[in-house]
Amino acid sequence: MDNINLFPLYLSFRVAFTATLISLICGLPIAYYLCRKQGRLSDFIDTLTNLPVVLPPTVLGYYLLVLIGRQSWLGKFLEEQFDIMLVFTPTGAIIASTVVAIPYLIRASKAALSEINEDYLNAARLLGRSELNIFVTIMIPIAWRGIISGVTMSFARALGDFGATLMVAGSIPFKTLTMPIAIYNALLAGNYQMANFLALIMTSVAVIVLYTVNRLEKKMKKG
Amino acid sequence: MLEISIEKTIGNFKLQSNFKSDKGVLGILGSSGCGKSVTLKCISGLKVPDKGFVKLNGKELFNSWNSINIPPRERNIGYVFQNYALFPHLNVYHNISYGVQHLDKATRHKKVMEMISKMQLDGYEKHCPSQLSGGQQQRVALARTLITEPELLLLDEPFSALDSQVKFILENELLSVLKKNYAGIALLVTHNIEEAYRLSDRILIMSKGKSLQIGNKDEIISHPTSIEAAVISGCKNLFEVEVLGEEDEFLRIKSKGLVLRASKNISDYQPKMLAGIQAHHIRLMPYYIDKSNSFECEIIDKIEGIFLITVIVNCLGNTLLVEVSKDDYLNLANNDSKKFWIEIPEEKVLLMDIKQ
Repeated sequence: MDNINLFPLYLSFRVAFTATLISLICGLPIAYYLCRKQGRLSDFIDTLTNLPVVLPPTVLGYYLLVLIGRQSWLGKFLEEQFDIMLVFTPTGAIIASTVVAIPYLIRASKAALSEINEDYLNAARLLGRSELNIFVTIMIPIAWRGIISGVTMSFARALGDFGATLMVAGSIPFKTLTMPIAIYNALLAGNYQMANFLALIMTSVAVIVLYTVNRLEKKMKKG
Repeated sequence: MLEISIEKTIGNFKLQSNFKSDKGVLGILGSSGCGKSVTLKCISGLKVPDKGFVKLNGKELFNSWNSINIPPRERNIGYVFQNYALFPHLNVYHNISYGVQHLDKATRHKKVMEMISKMQLDGYEKHCPSQLSGGQQQRVALARTLITEPELLLLDEPFSALDSQVKFILENELLSVLKKNYAGIALLVTHNIEEAYRLSDRILIMSKGKSLQIGNKDEIISHPTSIEAAVISGCKNLFEVEVLGEEDEFLRIKSKGLVLRASKNISDYQPKMLAGIQAHHIRLMPYYIDKSNSFECEIIDKIEGIFLITVIVNCLGNTLLVEVSKDDYLNLANNDSKKFWIEIPEEKVLLMDIKQ
């Protein structure tokens, strides 16, 4: 066990949990907006939020560097005003994972929210409730399975991100070295014990996530 | 008093609805896609009309000229949806209390429990909607709406999803629940003439987005004023006639070889008009009787229903549908006579303008 260093495991879960939480907080309102509005703007936002699924992670990482790197307007501003640096920090890893993970949450939540029978919402409207109130008391409780399925998918995606995290946060041991990168490093160094251990954990998480999502989707169909 | 006059265009469809309704049940009758449901949605504010106004008990809910559009949640209108739309994640108690959250806890609980016992749902408080029978679901939907004490109740095809046995029982139940617990204005949308007749006091006929005729239900059935209204109210024999002239209290009308006498139920008449005769008003007999509108005819075909048989006859070049009971038809068929006569009561011949 001497060869096994648990820091990447700890860091990865911390990053993935935080990224999933941010995805949920930002993604749910976006999903709500997308399922309510049908216009050019919402189509554009829909495309934009799905871009991270299609773009290579390195390209995504590159864009993030352009946006929040030390040379960027935002990066400079944060560094000069608050002495905050985003790149090559765990925060950078969280940002990268969030961007990679949020499309899955938005997509699943949007599907679940738009499947809700409009009559439920109309009934609630006529019973005197505001739109926000209806979102909280009717839409989320009815669509919760779809939302949870999105949460698990985005958690899995955040946990497994390699490219974008590497570009934005690097692979500094005991600082920004997450599990997928640690596996790569371990293999390069010939540390098969470490690689196997981490790969096993990643695989278990993936299996559990997929199983949960499948179960939830089946139950959702049954209603 | 509910007064509406609205216009709304959705794609190729144009809705022009205007009518008034006072206390009691008004049945809105029309074939599917005629704009009945859109009318309800416009009244409740779920859809916004392009033009017009909606006025309820003197209060303007919508007025396109003054830019008034009160949101649905402030209109105080009750709505019972086609499939009841009970919230699937809430139990009976919480479904019913959903619309009275603004009340304090004790009052709310008292009101909900009162409603539950009024609707005979005692013991079902903790049940989910999916565990209830159709009738119970209907009662929960009514309870959920009536607890908010609406000024107007809209019922959107509440029985369309049910099979006929259950439907009959639920219709009765709805009527008695409404009579006991609701004294305001109710609008009931349906495409079924029988249902409209059984449940409402007055009927509004709609066709292709327009409100055609409104009146007492018996008057609507016996005196439709247009061809669409006649078809919707169940009139199966409609044909063009030439008006030959007056004769005593009657009009003489002609269609092909058939010359009929018809009651003068209209004030003025054109040379060409439409005549309508309900299929069950025509008598079919194996012998001649000496009456003015009695003609020999030939039986072409028959369509067998459960209780009635629709006989298709040819009478002097006109094809007519005649409804007779099964027993009567057996008597006819067993008769030796190979000749048949029909008799059309003068007062049952309706005359309508062709252009409407």
